[in-house]
Amino acid sequence: MPDQFATAEPDEAVKLALRRIEEATARGEGSDVDGLAFNEVVVNMGPQHPSTHGVLRLVVTLDGELVKDVIPVIGYLHRCKEKLAERRTYFQYIPIVDRTEYVASINCEWAYVMAVEKLAGIQVTRRAEFIRVITGELMRIASHLVAVGTFTADLSPLGTAMVFYMFREREQILDLMEQLTGARMMFNYFRFGGVRYDLPDGWVERCRDFLAKFPKLIKEYEALVDDNAIFLQRTQGKGVITQQDVVDYGITGPNARASGIDLDLRRTRPYSVYPELDFALCTEQHGDIFDRYRVRMEEMRESVKIIEQCLDMLPMGPVQVGSLRAPYVITPPPGSCYVGQENPRGEYGTYIESDGSRYPYRLKFRDPCFCNLQIFPKLLSGNKIADAVAISGSIDLVLGGIDR
Amino acid sequence: MGLTVGSNPMSMDAIAELLAERFAGDLADVRIQEPDTIVARAPREKLKDLAARLKADPDAGYETLNWIAGVDRQTGFESVYHVYSWKTNTYLELHVDLPREKPEVDTVTGVWPAADWHERESWDMVGIVYVGHPDLRRILLKDDFVGHPLRKDYVDLVENHPHA
Repeated sequence: MPDQFATAEPDEAVKLALRRIEEATARGEGSDVDGLAFNEVVVNMGPQHPSTHGVLRLVVTLDGELVKDVIPVIGYLHRCKEKLAERRTYFQYIPIVDRTEYVASINCEWAYVMAVEKLAGIQVTRRAEFIRVITGELMRIASHLVAVGTFTADLSPLGTAMVFYMFREREQILDLMEQLTGARMMFNYFRFGGVRYDLPDGWVERCRDFLAKFPKLIKEYEALVDDNAIFLQRTQGKGVITQQDVVDYGITGPNARASGIDLDLRRTRPYSVYPELDFALCTEQHGDIFDRYRVRMEEMRESVKIIEQCLDMLPMGPVQVGSLRAPYVITPPPGSCYVGQENPRGEYGTYIESDGSRYPYRLKFRDPCFCNLQIFPKLLSGNKIADAVAISGSIDLVLGGIDR
Repeated sequence: MGLTVGSNPMSMDAIAELLAERFAGDLADVRIQEPDTIVARAPREKLKDLAARLKADPDAGYETLNWIAGVDRQTGFESVYHVYSWKTNTYLELHVDLPREKPEVDTVTGVWPAADWHERESWDMVGIVYVGHPDLRRILLKDDFVGHPLRKDYVDLVENHPHA
């Protein structure tokens, strides 16, 4: 009879954690906690853990309640996206890009489609550009709602109220997207040179209705948590990402802007019609959990402004180049290019190499969460385990993007 | 520290000229890819030293590593480094050729800490060995996976993933 309670052989990450403890002991390092004998323990957090927001696994070395070391283990959601590209035409690959980072999938589509357009020299119609910005910013709001909602839910019982409010509004955005694209999350909406469908009748009005009431709702969320003593205690001054960290680890997106850096690809590497739009970059100074939360809240306001401008400026015209159908088979000339796009989580980029055939020769995604996750060992070490959960929530990871 | 983007704006031509002049003999095929990327080739023996000098350059200063991609060229391999210069707000795409029979290159984790995971991914997927990497384990695939799936000659066998 097999022993069902037998301990599994530790894998490489756990072995590494144990080895590091041995090395620390050999160096004569003891416990940092007063009155505690040297007593470190390796805890396996995840991949099935409610606070890791997906299948992230952290091998945490604990010294009492203090986190001494963290080894992130990823790959539990790996679906060979880059390998799949070898046997798909450029057109067939669009829906697969959706499924990399599924919380803001339209922004991922955008990054991929832009790279192919640049490689093949396809010009996007002007109306389609505006529709792209509208959908991209709507999904940015939806994604930030998920990020802030789930993160506050990690912090306190108060947050569970917040997550329901936020998902209520996110559902309205997904409804709008469903009316436009036919899907709630996996849109398959962008085409080379444009988008799949034009805006349906009455969509602009419904979108405006939502935008009119949304800023008031943001105020409501802020009233719920911004002055809450527990929330402030748990977020202010914790998990600080310095500007040097941003430079060293390639942190992008709201996490970088919370540290006071005006890095936003919509501004620094402008694409689409963003140069024509008037919006502010939201930055904060301290780079702690609270600032990352604030940046996301402010960005939602800015996104509302951007969408309103786009709806005002929306020109008439075709949403796809040439005929009614998008080009199904395209063969970009041999060469390579990289295009980055400001995803809600940071720089989502696609590197494509073409050998002149119908299939990409090499396709690589630069995922913001993959890069942001790299700082975890540095960021979490030295904090209490409860704060580690708060910090990892504030970084806003989507494992689909990390594992690809 | 007050880091700002594009504190030392330079035209792409000026940067290309500067790189061709300061790194003559190390960087080859320097060309501009519109709108803001410089593509160049570097010899693998000098990569580590070159990376440190690129990072420390007072005018261009490529301080942040954006990503690394391993590419199977069939005749050989290629490690592509995409680095970002905060001062000029431009990118540099560095291609390093590696021989087929011995795809090894020095690690740049000492220069750009972000290289850690990107090099692991490149090793995992394409099988490029980054010599001197502190912890070159598989990252996306399981520890006991056999082979490197993004190689063009990779054949998927059941034996390659024992615990799938």
